[in-house]
Parts: sequence; structure tokens; C-alpha cells
Amino acid sequence: MRVAASSVLVLACLFSFISALSIGAINVDFYDVWLALWSYDNTQLTQKIIIELRLPRTVLAFLAGAGLATAGLILQTVTRNPLADPYLFGISSGASFGVVLLITLFGMQSGLAMSGAALLGSICAMSLLLLIAYHKGTAQIENMLLAGVALSFLFNAFTSLLLYWSDPQAITAIIFWSLGSFSRADWAWIWLPSAVVILGILSVICFRRHLNALLLGDESAVTLGVNVHKLRLGMLLVSSLLTAVLVAACGGVGFVGLMIPHIVRFFISQARVLGMLATALSGGLFMLWVDVLARSLIDNQELPIGVITAAIGSVFFLSLLMFKKRSTSI
Amino acid sequence: MVAAQVSINNLSLVIHNKQILSDISFSVLPGQFIGLIGPNGAGKSSLLRCLYRYQTPQAGNIQIDEKEISQFSRQTYAKKVAAVLQEIPSQFNLAVFDVVAMGLTPHKRLFSSVSLRDRQAIQEALKKVGLAHKYQQPYESLSGGEKQRVMIARAIVQRPSLLLMDEPTSHLDVKYQIEIMALAKSLGITVIASFHDLNLASALCDSIIVLNEGSLVANGAPKNVVTTNMLLEVFGVKAEVILQTSPHGASVPYIRYQYQLTVMDLNDQASRGRECE
Repeated sequence: MRVAASSVLVLACLFSFISALSIGAINVDFYDVWLALWSYDNTQLTQKIIIELRLPRTVLAFLAGAGLATAGLILQTVTRNPLADPYLFGISSGASFGVVLLITLFGMQSGLAMSGAALLGSICAMSLLLLIAYHKGTAQIENMLLAGVALSFLFNAFTSLLLYWSDPQAITAIIFWSLGSFSRADWAWIWLPSAVVILGILSVICFRRHLNALLLGDESAVTLGVNVHKLRLGMLLVSSLLTAVLVAACGGVGFVGLMIPHIVRFFISQARVLGMLATALSGGLFMLWVDVLARSLIDNQELPIGVITAAIGSVFFLSLLMFKKRSTSI
Repeated sequence: MVAAQVSINNLSLVIHNKQILSDISFSVLPGQFIGLIGPNGAGKSSLLRCLYRYQTPQAGNIQIDEKEISQFSRQTYAKKVAAVLQEIPSQFNLAVFDVVAMGLTPHKRLFSSVSLRDRQAIQEALKKVGLAHKYQQPYESLSGGEKQRVMIARAIVQRPSLLLMDEPTSHLDVKYQIEIMALAKSLGITVIASFHDLNLASALCDSIIVLNEGSLVANGAPKNVVTTNMLLEVFGVKAEVILQTSPHGASVPYIRYQYQLTVMDLNDQASRGRECE
């Protein structure tokens, strides 16, 4: 069962990567994709498209999905709330605020500057959250959730206020940014999200026993020798860092962090290493296909990522509700 | 003379300026089964919390194996002391096997995986609590009694020398109350458990400690502690205590409550309660 599940996931990843590289405005067949990957010839246009445009984009989509799903898993575990997700804690609102501030104050719209502003904004939101939650030494989970929601509203209010005062062109740029896109992917900086996502996944696997111990209550975790406060703080930092970097790189991509851990948990006990890896990989796979859809649904135009994930996400939640009702009524 | 495994000296705990425990001292010999009884809010859970180091007392000390408990590292302490607590609902899909495997936490390094020996230990623990056939089921799908048996299996895997139990049977049917406590007793390690059911405590414990409003009011063998007088003073109930002989030849007190509590009594209690404040 475990071997089967892992091999299915790995094969699905390989297949999806190659498909994602071949599908697009210009369809490239699998053989050319293979050639481009293994014997890259930069004088050929199709190979150049694959290596310079599609590959970094696909890698970024996969990283974003894997990272946000891992961040969601962490937050749901440390708060023991299956509805927690990276966006609940105001981190993405902070990022949007940073971007809006940059555009309205300095009129800058270059991709790199926007990413930097988003990163600063989300780090600011995250520090505020931790400061509020930990100002008495120990954080209550409920307080932390409430503080996150409040901060999120606060940043949204500032963002709306700035938007109200800015010109239509800036508003378009901001809306486009906040709906998310992988089109800014570039080999020059993709190492940063890669490093952060790998760090996130490693830390979850490394501390999996301690994280699992939290699921049955703080006191129970203490009796197993877990330093609950340090673990929670550290894991919050990891998930905030993941969210901050990924939101900065691809804009607002919601629902992955909430949805993927939920689905995986249906099938695999979350205490397993397999469950954690499966969460990351399925998040990556999901995002990769969302990006393929975004690029290919409408000819010559790109759909925003946020629209697709939100549409799929809401349908998913409705069906989850129906399924739950049915399974309890039996 | 056997050295005490646990010794508590002049322990006091204050939370939010409220005295929760005051000046508690007692000691426990290796292998003893100790029952903690007392009315709601008497400090049973707080005393156990101090013992499993969830709360730090303001005064006094607790020693285990003649060493101050704050001197142990978290990991070392978790290898010595395990706890079965009141049930916490979990909305996460955890297999029974994985919950029991949590008991390995203090014995494992960060990256190490579950070895074949660990796997056997987990299976054996599950067999001991009679749940070997359910190891793949989700923990949430079990009944209350089964869940607490899983927690005992987790404690077995933790290999402690002292087991703390905080009213592990409070929501359970009579059958499971007896079953869980008998299971804990069968482990052969030192157990300190708080009880709701005084008859069950009297039948199972080597020694009973009575707490009332944060103070220790009695400590000793069940037949010396569980008396008509104590029940009236500490619990505020009128009862008759009969001494019975257990199958092992010990004399065990058996409580028969008198159920003619009238409204007058309640008013009386309320006015007495106000005087205390």
C-alpha cells in the first residue's frame, strides 16, 4: 500500500512535469521536451521556450503548491484547527499591503521590486502576529487565530484605502498581482523559493513526532517530552516564511494550503512521513496543473491562478460538506 | 527500607493569585498504586500537572528517584514518567498504530524511523490492551473506552517507571472504568491516578490521598482513609462505609451513599459556602 502510493505519486509527478512542459501556446511533443532537458541546444526556438520559459514556470508552480500545502499542514497541526491556512494569519494581506504601498508611493511595477515589497509586507505582518500572540510569554492558540484574522482585516483596510486613492492603471496592476501568476518565474531567483520549500518540508519531516504529539493536546505533548512553546513558535516561523516567500514570488494563491492537507488526510494517516510527503507532492501537482489550465484554457490569454484555485477550492469544499453529511448519515 | 520513588515536599501552587495547592507532602514507594480523590476543584489535576511538569510550583519540591524533577531534561523525564489524560477530541485522521507510536517520541532522534523492534513493541502494547486487530483504524472512530486503552498502550511503549492518570475514566461506562484501571494496575509500575469513583479507588489502590481545597487531608490505606467522617467533611455526603474482604484477603471499604439529600441541605451548604468565602 505504501509502496504503491509512493510510486503512483512519483510517476504522476514525472508525467505531469513533462506534460506541463509540452502543453502551451505552442505544443511541443514529448520527444522534443526530452531533448531539451537532456541535450539543450539554445539555438532552437522550441527548446529555448521549454528551458527558458516553461521549465522555471513549472518548477515555480510546483514549489508554490508544495510549499503552501506544507505551510497549511503545519498551521493546521500547531493550531489543532483543520480550517487553519496560511491566509488566515494575515500574512498574505501584509504582502498585498506591501505591494500596494510600493505601487502607489513609488509608482514602481517591476516584478522584482513587487516581490521584495510583498516579502517585506508579509514579514511585517508575521512579526506583528508573533509579537501580539507571544507578548505574555506563552501563546494561546485561540488568541493567535483571532489576532491573525484581525491583522488580516487591518491590512486589508489599509490596502483598500490606498487603492481608493490610486489611479486606475495602478489598480489594474495590483489586482493582477493579487490574483497570482507564475509568469514572473525566472532562473535568476528561483533558488530562493526552492531553498525555503525544501527547508520547510525537511523541518516538518524532522519534527514529525513532535508535531503529531501536538494533535492530542498540549499537555499530552508535554508528557512526551515536547517543548510545546518552542516547537509552535518555530513551526509558525517556518510556515510564515514559506508563505511570505511564495506569496512574494507568485502573488495571492489561495486554497491550496487549506485544501490539499485535507484531501491527503482523508486517505493517509497524517502521522506518517508518507502522509507529509504526499501533502507536499500533491500540492505541487495540483498547482502545476492549475498553471497548465491557466496557460491553455483560453487562447492567447492567461487566466489568473487565484481565480482557478478559488473556483476549484470552493467546489471542493461544497462536495466535502455533502460527502461528510452522507458518510455520517449512514 | 525501600527508598521512595516519588517524594513531594511542601508543594504549593498559585495560579493567577489563587492558591491551588498548599503545602502538600507525601511519598510513593516503587510499584505502589496511589489513588487521588477529592471533590471538583480540590487540586487533583493541578497536582498531577506539577508531576508531569506542565505547571511549575512556586514553593516546595518534587523528587523522583531522589532527584529534583526540574533537573531532568525533557526527554529523560518523558522516559521516566508517562501520563494518560482526559480525552481530547481530535479532528485529524490518525491511525491507532500512529497514536501508540507517539510513545516512542522520547526514545527517538529527530530523523530516525520506526524500527522493527519498535514495531513489535507497539504491536505487543496493542495486544496487551486488546486492540491489536484495530491498529489500522482511525483513532477517532474508536469508542471512549478504546481510546483510553490506546493511550495506555502509548504509555506502555513509552516504557516509564511512573504512570500518571488524570481521571482517565470520567466519561466511561462502569465496565470500562474498571477495565482501564485494572489494566493500569496490571502493568506493575508505580501509578498515581485521580479517581471519580470512590468505590473503585478503594478497591484498587494500595494507598489513597484525599485532597480538599488544595490541601492534603488524609493519606493512607483505603480502609483507614475512606470513612463516614471523611465523606461527610470532604465530599459533603452522608454515607455508610462497610468493610468487605477482597478476593486477595485485604479489607476494602465499600461506600453506600444515602440519597435523602433534601433542598434544606442544599440551602444549608450554600450558606456554609458563603461563610467560607
